[in-house]
Amino acid sequence: MQWSWIPQNWTIIWQYTLDNALLGLLPPLIGLVISLPVGIACVATRWLYPPVLGLANAVYAIPTLAVFVVLIDYTGLGNLTVIIALTLLSLCVLIPSVVDGLRSVPEPVRQAATAMGFTQVRRMIQVELPLAVPVIIAGMRVAVVSSISLASLGYLIGVLSFGYFFVDGEQRDYPTEIYAGFALTILLAIVCDLLLVGARTLLTPWARGRRAAASTMTARPAVTGVPS
Amino acid sequence: MITFETVTKRYPDGTVAVDSLDLEVPAGKIMVLVGPSGCGKTTTLRMINRLVEPTSGRVLLDSANVADTDPSQLRRGIGYVIQQTGLFPHRTIEDNIATVPLLTGWKRDRARTRARELMDLVGLDPATMARRYPHQLSGGQQQRVGVARALAADPPVLLMDEPFSAVDPIVRAALQDELIRLQAELHKTVVLVTHDVEEAIKVGDLVAVFRPGGHLAQVDTPERLLGAPVDDYVRDFVGFDRGIRRLSFFGAAGLDLATDTVLPVGTTHADAAAAAKLAGEPWLLVVDAAGRPLGWAAVADLDSGNARAVLTDADLAPVGHTFRPDTDSLRAALDATILSRTERAVGVDASGRAIGTTSYERLRDAIRAAEDAAESDAVRTRQAGVKGG
Repeated sequence: MQWSWIPQNWTIIWQYTLDNALLGLLPPLIGLVISLPVGIACVATRWLYPPVLGLANAVYAIPTLAVFVVLIDYTGLGNLTVIIALTLLSLCVLIPSVVDGLRSVPEPVRQAATAMGFTQVRRMIQVELPLAVPVIIAGMRVAVVSSISLASLGYLIGVLSFGYFFVDGEQRDYPTEIYAGFALTILLAIVCDLLLVGARTLLTPWARGRRAAASTMTARPAVTGVPS
Repeated sequence: MITFETVTKRYPDGTVAVDSLDLEVPAGKIMVLVGPSGCGKTTTLRMINRLVEPTSGRVLLDSANVADTDPSQLRRGIGYVIQQTGLFPHRTIEDNIATVPLLTGWKRDRARTRARELMDLVGLDPATMARRYPHQLSGGQQQRVGVARALAADPPVLLMDEPFSAVDPIVRAALQDELIRLQAELHKTVVLVTHDVEEAIKVGDLVAVFRPGGHLAQVDTPERLLGAPVDDYVRDFVGFDRGIRRLSFFGAAGLDLATDTVLPVGTTHADAAAAAKLAGEPWLLVVDAAGRPLGWAAVADLDSGNARAVLTDADLAPVGHTFRPDTDSLRAALDATILSRTERAVGVDASGRAIGTTSYERLRDAIRAAEDAAESDAVRTRQAGVKGG
């Protein structure tokens, strides 16, 4: 490990950190935007969820590189291809977390909301989604971390990310660069994860104090990405 | 007023939850729907605010068919309280209570002011509780919030589905008393579902007993339900001690209390023995100078030969439970009498002064008179009903 490598390469380290952060955060965010309506539809119509989940899992099962290869024909070598691929992969975690989150809303709460005179749309926005936030964010944490790590692969099709350090370090037989890429990936993942934990705390002031007891129960299904 | 006109609810699988129900809930009264589980009482309740739609028949709210009103609009005008409270975990107590006012477009400040008024009304301290979340409250407090939330927009109708079933018996009794107190103030049209016949009899102005299969067995006042169940089903359902429980509905004012058994402290034994002989009683009630009961003196223990012996507050049998003839029921008077070692109980006035004493014979006469009066009342009501119908 050559510590001097770090200050010498500060500019590209910072640049690739930003690139990798973009590839780590944007796909799960787009994935969330897709998963919300899909998840809501899956909860509303019972038959829809199994085929949707099957499809999302099937996409996840395809090697990431293969997804790139398929997409290159349509979207070329570039950011867009990586973002689309990682977005598709995030759905496998995010759709179940939206569905589980909505299903975690206690039936009496849903019924009371209806009986108070909430319309369906208003009930979804003001009652069900806010209550689903802890489970959805648990899913986002998994999606973001895995997206940050998968973003390295983007370098194989020329998209800049921490992947550069692994490939370059390997080609030049320079382990310091590989270790640095390793550490940077983990560090970025931890920072993003903490940001999401902060977001959850801000969005769910009501859950403070009861989180200790409840989180282990509600978060698990989404973390594993396995439908209950 | 809420009217069910031959309402039937049949589910796709063929189960009939409610079968041609005809029922009228008078305005400003508490109607309790009671019956075993699966008798259709909750389904009946939910057809009022259209959480369940009837298969046939009509549900009228003030002579308008509820099916003609937009469900959300309809529900904002009907309070709803459920057993599991259904409070919104992500909203503070004040915002939970303000739910319907906010839905109907009130400004947040005004809705919160209203919420705090309601917290006062249901016995919760706004200063300490308004900003808490539901999980920080006890079960009984949560249920009070549920009631406050249902009342927030001042709806004329209140639906309560087993509202007090999930709390312990002491809290339940307090909440029931609270409901009775609120109702005396607010005069809502209340429909309350319970499986607890005691609760039905305690809080109901009218009680509708359901049979399994969604049939009505009897609709009557609690007193009539206990006094004249229509058949064995209702008789079994209301329970074995209905004769005693029915006495709750008869005031103790009609009880003819013995007054010649009450003697002030300081009365000589000779005078006391003479009074006891005249009254034909084995026990005398000794009272203090202000007339408050001190205890029972046994006539057999009086030393009537001793001219200097007087009644003191020593060596008396304890007074036991007293009752207020003006406010308590015959049941309270009977209970106090049974519990007393002397088989007698003391009726007192508001300031605690003894009015007179009971005996089994006196209670028997009062009960018989009350039952006769209730019977002739019922006959008169039936005749009026025949004329009206």
